[in-house]
Amino acid sequence: MERLRANGPIVAFAILLVVAMAIFGIATASVRSLISQSFATETQVRAARLLAAQALALQLDEETGIRGWAATGSRSFLQPYRDALPILPSTFDRLGALLAKLKVERGAMLADARAVNAQWLRLVAASVLGGPGGNEAIQHYGKQLIDRYRSDIASVQGGLTLVETEADAATRAAIAQNTLVTVGALIALGITGIIVGIVQTRSIRELSLREAETAKLRAAYTAERRVSDALQEAFLQKPLPTLLGVAFSATYIPAREESKVGGDWYEGVELEDGRVMFAIGDVAGHGLEAAVSMNRARQAIVSAALVHADPAKMLGRVNDDLIADRGRMVTAVCGIADASKFSFTYATAGHPPPILVEPGRAPRILPIGGVPLGVLAGREYRTHSIQTVPGATLVLYTDGAVEFARDPIEGEKVLLEAVRLALENGNPEPAGAIRDHIFGFREAEDDVAILTIAFLQPEQGERDGSREAQIAASPSRGGSTAPSTSSITGSNAA
Amino acid sequence: MSDSSVVVIALSGELDIGRVDEVARALELPPRTTAVLLDLSDVSYADSTVISALFRFSEKAAAASTPIAVLMVKPQLIRLLEYAGVSEAFPVFRERSAALTYLLSNG
Repeated sequence: MERLRANGPIVAFAILLVVAMAIFGIATASVRSLISQSFATETQVRAARLLAAQALALQLDEETGIRGWAATGSRSFLQPYRDALPILPSTFDRLGALLAKLKVERGAMLADARAVNAQWLRLVAASVLGGPGGNEAIQHYGKQLIDRYRSDIASVQGGLTLVETEADAATRAAIAQNTLVTVGALIALGITGIIVGIVQTRSIRELSLREAETAKLRAAYTAERRVSDALQEAFLQKPLPTLLGVAFSATYIPAREESKVGGDWYEGVELEDGRVMFAIGDVAGHGLEAAVSMNRARQAIVSAALVHADPAKMLGRVNDDLIADRGRMVTAVCGIADASKFSFTYATAGHPPPILVEPGRAPRILPIGGVPLGVLAGREYRTHSIQTVPGATLVLYTDGAVEFARDPIEGEKVLLEAVRLALENGNPEPAGAIRDHIFGFREAEDDVAILTIAFLQPEQGERDGSREAQIAASPSRGGSTAPSTSSITGSNAA
Repeated sequence: MSDSSVVVIALSGELDIGRVDEVARALELPPRTTAVLLDLSDVSYADSTVISALFRFSEKAAAASTPIAVLMVKPQLIRLLEYAGVSEAFPVFRERSAALTYLLSNG
């Protein structure tokens, strides 16, 4: 579309060029025919002039011959008369035809000259040749008739000059007209060319400006996207620990809109004595800044876990770090799974509640408490302890998993059902199955992270030594050697 | 203190990142305010950026020793703000009269 619009002026210019060339061609052709016509006229005029001069000369030859004869009586003097006599009539004929062709207005004067000649032949020449008394005729008529003849021929000559001048003027006018048309066409062409050039340059400049702007925006967007993608990928590619007795699964769904690259993350770090630190979190907002805040919060939690064994104390320390950093608000759950005791301890900070699934029991929403990290200074958090059973799975998620319809009550129902279905038949990747149950036919508005931590059945874990052991963790066989009941207790971190 | 000195800040609808500036303007404390009723009875949703603004507001009010009561009615919002632990930063009420009583007795 853009290209078509840019080519429009060029097409118009091409059409104008063709029209201008056609006008120029027609004008040139008409002027050429006019010039050749005028050239033909000139040739004819020149021929007529010669004939007129000849007509005069012949008449004078005739007269000279007659006068010589009359004066001397010698026949030899009569020779010019004899020579001229047969030629003059044909000269009159040829000149008459040319004058008619040239439409000389004074052509009639030639007829008079011819009549004068005839009269002279009859009155002067005949009487001189006829005998004595000829001299009288010469005296009486000679000069008068010859003068009239001269004046007639001069008149014809004048008529020819007029015709010549007219033809000349017409040619000059045609040339002037042709020049005018040509110059006009060239000027019009030049102006059009300039206009087309300006329009073309402007549209090209506009096009390239727009392209440059788009490219700049795209580059800026790509750069931000690349960095936040890299940060997201860095944590997604970091493998979760694989241990005897504990199985992790996780999934991450990016937001539907590309600009909404979020700050959701999860974490699993193996500590000593078979204990595992786990965490999930969400930074408020989207984009590069959220991704940076996310990375900072994750690092703060991991370093806090290396110092404190108590999740509430970990969160308290992270909160202090984030307050000092003046970063964004972060919600999180962090905790420790102890496979040797089948126990979880965890603390929450403004985050949606974990879900516990025990073999043979409906999924349960666990207690929460605590404000988000990075907003209020000096806060204390609360550690919850859960004594659970082999085959139990803890499900952690970010708000996108329950707030897809902006209704957390409905969202919790959907999530609990998805968790139940995902864990019903023992699935090696329950996080992905939960995601599929919720978002199989829903769009993820926000980004969503889901993390599951499962205690394997002891006999299955030892036999397979892999995550697949969880497939066999069916409710009916659950809890044969380990405690068969769970308990949840809470305590405030000092 | 008298009833008329309670400033009521009422918000409504779904509060998300697109309205965060509007929320921030609404939450500017007028000088010498003695008590604030934050009326969220017509609010059904608040995203994390708005919740973040609510916490910053609570901190400002605490610094100015201005008592605040938050009124929430819609169950979706109550659940969302339970996740966020809002009740640990503000006294939260489900009825207007209870909220006003609290503010008048703590003013």
